[in-house]
Amino acid sequence: MSAAIRRMKDLPSTHLLGAGTSMCAGCGALLALHEIYDLLGVRSVFVNAASCMTLLAAYPFTPFRGSWLYTSMASAPAGAQGVRDALDILLEQGRIAPEEDLTAVALTGDGAATGIGLSATSGAIDRGLDFIYLCYDNEGYGNTGQQSSAATPYGAHTATSIGAHGHCGTKKDLFAVWIAHRPAYAATVIGADPLDLAKKIEQARALQGPRLIHALAPCPPGWDFDPAIGVEIGRLAVKTGVWPLKQYLDGKVTHTHVPHPRLPVEEYLKLQGRFRHLFEPVRDAATLGRIQSDVDAYWAQVAA
Amino acid sequence: MYRIRLHGRGGQGIKTGGRILGSAFFGAGFDAQDAPVYGAERRGAPMFATVRASRAPIRERGLMARPDLVVLADETLLQVPAANVLFGVGAATVLLIHGTGEAADWRVRLGFDGKVVVLPVTAGTAERAGSGIAGARCAGAAARLVGGIAREQLGAALTEELGPLGPAVLASNLEQALAAFDAVAPHAGVVRESAPASARDFAAPDWIDLPLDPARIAAPDIHAAATSVEARTGLWRTLRPEIDYAHCNRCTWVCSTLCPDSAIRVRPDRSPEIDLQHCKGCMICVSVCPPHAIHSIPERVAQEREPAGAAP
Repeated sequence: MSAAIRRMKDLPSTHLLGAGTSMCAGCGALLALHEIYDLLGVRSVFVNAASCMTLLAAYPFTPFRGSWLYTSMASAPAGAQGVRDALDILLEQGRIAPEEDLTAVALTGDGAATGIGLSATSGAIDRGLDFIYLCYDNEGYGNTGQQSSAATPYGAHTATSIGAHGHCGTKKDLFAVWIAHRPAYAATVIGADPLDLAKKIEQARALQGPRLIHALAPCPPGWDFDPAIGVEIGRLAVKTGVWPLKQYLDGKVTHTHVPHPRLPVEEYLKLQGRFRHLFEPVRDAATLGRIQSDVDAYWAQVAA
Repeated sequence: MYRIRLHGRGGQGIKTGGRILGSAFFGAGFDAQDAPVYGAERRGAPMFATVRASRAPIRERGLMARPDLVVLADETLLQVPAANVLFGVGAATVLLIHGTGEAADWRVRLGFDGKVVVLPVTAGTAERAGSGIAGARCAGAAARLVGGIAREQLGAALTEELGPLGPAVLASNLEQALAAFDAVAPHAGVVRESAPASARDFAAPDWIDLPLDPARIAAPDIHAAATSVEARTGLWRTLRPEIDYAHCNRCTWVCSTLCPDSAIRVRPDRSPEIDLQHCKGCMICVSVCPPHAIHSIPERVAQEREPAGAAP
């Protein structure tokens, strides 16, 4: 285990995840994953549900230094259960030493986490499975061309929401779904804030049981922005209050960053092509107003 | 039947260009079939799409072994072996290059026997922000090269395919596609249809027979760490980051941590070093460097400055 991370300078400067993956240039999910992998380390087994990240390891190439295996979209938590059970049996029979134990990590996109795989996830938390669930959330089915998912935010244009006002549903609150199960830990993170992310990974590592790491993953092709500004978009998601950085521990939710002053959501939305229809050819004040008031209502409830 | 293959990089609008061309053919009374080739298509990575059009029903499917027209949206792909741009071309194939230079020079450089037509890139499409319009330009030029598609039919196909993206996107694509249609007028109808393939002509490929190994040998397991470094994703790059070491603060973590691809390492003297074999050119490092010590230059310019054979 590395020494406690308190400042930027404590972050690792050598990186464990190999280069050469087939993720898009500027991928916000790969950004979060490489930061997380530096901290979780090679003593891990990634159980990857079908998603963009499935293409991380395409035979004979893998960026991982430890184990990785692939499951169907709905069954990453079941795969993690199998891995955990197998390790427990090996430990119990003395076939591996305690220091050879591995951490089971389910790695999925938001489509699996908030929709297709939610039932398997709920069951795994119910059983108290000792695993980390890492969801990278690019707010749509990115690997197949950004169709809307249960995590797509209100008003966003996707391949399946092309109406004048964009997606008419609201983003499912995965963090709330998780903490309703009373897991060991749950946290939201973003690659654009590596220090906050690192502290939460350290916290998660120190615990046992079901642990959620939910990373917002700005997606250049899916959200339609120049990959160079991916980190800026991530920072704006936090500064505008659209993406609250928080954690659940010992039954309590704590916000690790409260944006103050909180910027208008438009600062975040206007950089992304998926929200362009809200600004041109005419300004869609009603939709913009609702997005802002939803964020305002969230933070009002936090302050209360 | 016309067999057309469009090559480009993810993000250049090649899938859409194929759809526009297919719809234009259909509007002109052809049976048409268009499809992007499914794979790990990623922004900047090589990808291609195919279009078939015929006055008779099309029964051919799948990849295209003998194209009549190959459209290349990005000339830098010619040096990427995995892109396989010239697969199956012959003396009867027309090659449309959306790029720079003279057709005669390209024929010599590529050792290409067929006809080459160059559609010059415009200033806007050479920039990354405008690169998505390359697909529409290529579709416009291809429609003129095959002949049999009227200007209005091309416009109607663009309206059908791009209308849902809003008037501004449609207008800019229409302007570029029609300009490309006009630009290649001297070569109108230069592409010739080739005969439909018959099952009788099928030649079995040179299969390599593999013995049936036990699962522990034959299963696609990877037993080494971080083998992905063997994939040279640096070839995706159209922009290159360059570090100005005189201005670098040696802050040791910003660019290196925020590079999604683990392609910036920190040397023992705390200065960062960019791994050009793997950097995909996202330019996040350029935008996050606190003292602005990293700047971006077009990959083509960077390669021209290097001695021959030094390309990553």
